[in-house]
Amino acid sequence: MTRPAIPIGLVFSRSGPYGMMGGELHKAAVMAVDEVNQDDQFDFSFTPRLRDPRGVVAAYHTACDELIREERVDHIIGCYTSASRKQVIPIVERTERLLWYPARYEGFECSDNVIYVGAAPNHNVVPLVRHMLAQISDQVFCIGSNYIWTWETNRVIREIVGSAGGRILAERLLELGEIAVDHIVREIIERKPPVVFNTLVGESSYAFVRALHEAATRENLVIPMLSCSLCEPELKLIGSEASVGCVTSSAYFESIDRAENRGFVARWKARHGAESSPSVDGQSTYVSIMLLARAIRRAGSADVGAVKRAAANHRYQSPQGPVWVDPDNNHCFLTPRLAHSVPGCQFKIFWEADAPVRPDPYLAGLDLASIGKLNKVNDVMTRNVTTKSANHLRIVK
Amino acid sequence: MNRPSPFSVRGRRALMVIRDEREIAIVRRQLGRLGMTITDYDPERTAPAEAVDVIVLDADLVPLEVDVAAVCQGDTPIIALVGTETPSRLKWLLDLQPASFLIKPLRSAGLYTALVVAFDSAQRRHDESLRTERLETRVRSRRIVSAAVQQVMRSQDVSEADAFALIRRAAMRQRLAIEQLSADILAGGGLPGRTTRSA
Repeated sequence: MTRPAIPIGLVFSRSGPYGMMGGELHKAAVMAVDEVNQDDQFDFSFTPRLRDPRGVVAAYHTACDELIREERVDHIIGCYTSASRKQVIPIVERTERLLWYPARYEGFECSDNVIYVGAAPNHNVVPLVRHMLAQISDQVFCIGSNYIWTWETNRVIREIVGSAGGRILAERLLELGEIAVDHIVREIIERKPPVVFNTLVGESSYAFVRALHEAATRENLVIPMLSCSLCEPELKLIGSEASVGCVTSSAYFESIDRAENRGFVARWKARHGAESSPSVDGQSTYVSIMLLARAIRRAGSADVGAVKRAAANHRYQSPQGPVWVDPDNNHCFLTPRLAHSVPGCQFKIFWEADAPVRPDPYLAGLDLASIGKLNKVNDVMTRNVTTKSANHLRIVK
Repeated sequence: MNRPSPFSVRGRRALMVIRDEREIAIVRRQLGRLGMTITDYDPERTAPAEAVDVIVLDADLVPLEVDVAAVCQGDTPIIALVGTETPSRLKWLLDLQPASFLIKPLRSAGLYTALVVAFDSAQRRHDESLRTERLETRVRSRRIVSAAVQQVMRSQDVSEADAFALIRRAAMRQRLAIEQLSADILAGGGLPGRTTRSA
């Protein structure tokens, strides 16, 4: 039986400064395309049209322009950084195409021609800061890469921590790719902050986590670290020992105990080796293509308007749990989770939201007053961890 | 004073003075995402029924179809939606003193920036008008201060600098503005707490 082939664009930088992550996203996309093409439930197949902009921002524009004009694609899955997404949006808006964007990002955007499948800031940053205030400290040392993700994450941290009466002890920025971290590690060891919030990305983050672990071990110090971006493949790059103990916020961890995820991880390992792990953004890329395939099936066409209508509110039981597009803002309902990194380069989940959470890209629903109150209640009940968390956290493990 | 941050727009109210249905839909949806509430413009009404924090006004409606005076109450900031860029139309736009603007056709991107700029510039305008008012009062009362200085110079037989220092010290003692004390000196005929020498 021949099934009509629908061309789709896959735009991932498999080389260049964040080639490792781009490669992970690409692998997940190809896996999803293969699964759709082998699944009889779909009466069409996808023909992937691949582009590698090599991390060059301007190349994203060219790649998508070609895909739309020459390859005639209606749907593009791709981009990792916000800078690359911003390059693509004018083209998809002008030509009425759809970009399926898998990465978590800083929010404050809502294009009609983008489906945002990754976490919005209310899914990842907010639960982590609330956890920090309730369980660790309201005095925080922030370190991050000098770009939009860190700036905006730090702004949210500052706003929430400030409203709860806490304090940002320091805000240190490193240029993207910078691995000279010793002066900041030295400062942290000297000042001994109660907690470090790490929004570094890539090699900077791996170098920092390793160096801080080494210095803290030498000094016999325990300094908790928080992250909303670390994923399993990165824990492997950091190293088994140094990567342990980081509290991470994410909608996906390899350790999620659901049948859909066990199957997904097994298929991933069968393709990429028993030692490999899917990442949060990889899983999200896989989810993007599955959401697209299901929407095309429901719409009976790849037409952008019909696909958007079909995707709206349609629940897909994904590896990370039920996911669906909120037609009010084109972002997805996801389940926020918090986990500790444990030996073996894995995460142990200790909290997850009761149900998938409505995406709030502009943080319009962030109730600072209630967070401030929560923290004051916690001051009184510092001994009672269970009662503290009961206000907003459900312990699952 | 605890002023709202221009970045937090949640809970603020916007008045929409827009005719085009597509633009209304875009603005309504984006304001909803931002957690703002919306009042529709009713041309039958002479003034908005409730106070609003910002007016989103289609500049292409001006001046024909909207009673701008009725819509633009007080110093509520205006975001102008600009379609026609001819100088004649822009002249109307300038008369409205828009706090920020958006170029049509609208997209969801841009409105948040326009709101933040509008709220920030409204706050700055408010601060500046208070400051101007203060300065104007001081300029107006300079004549009074200078008359009081003249009087103290004469009555105390001191230099201009010493007369001003005496007035300033007396004002500080009595916790009054220099302008206020100067008016008192002129009305009562001398520095308080001192025996006025007759001329």
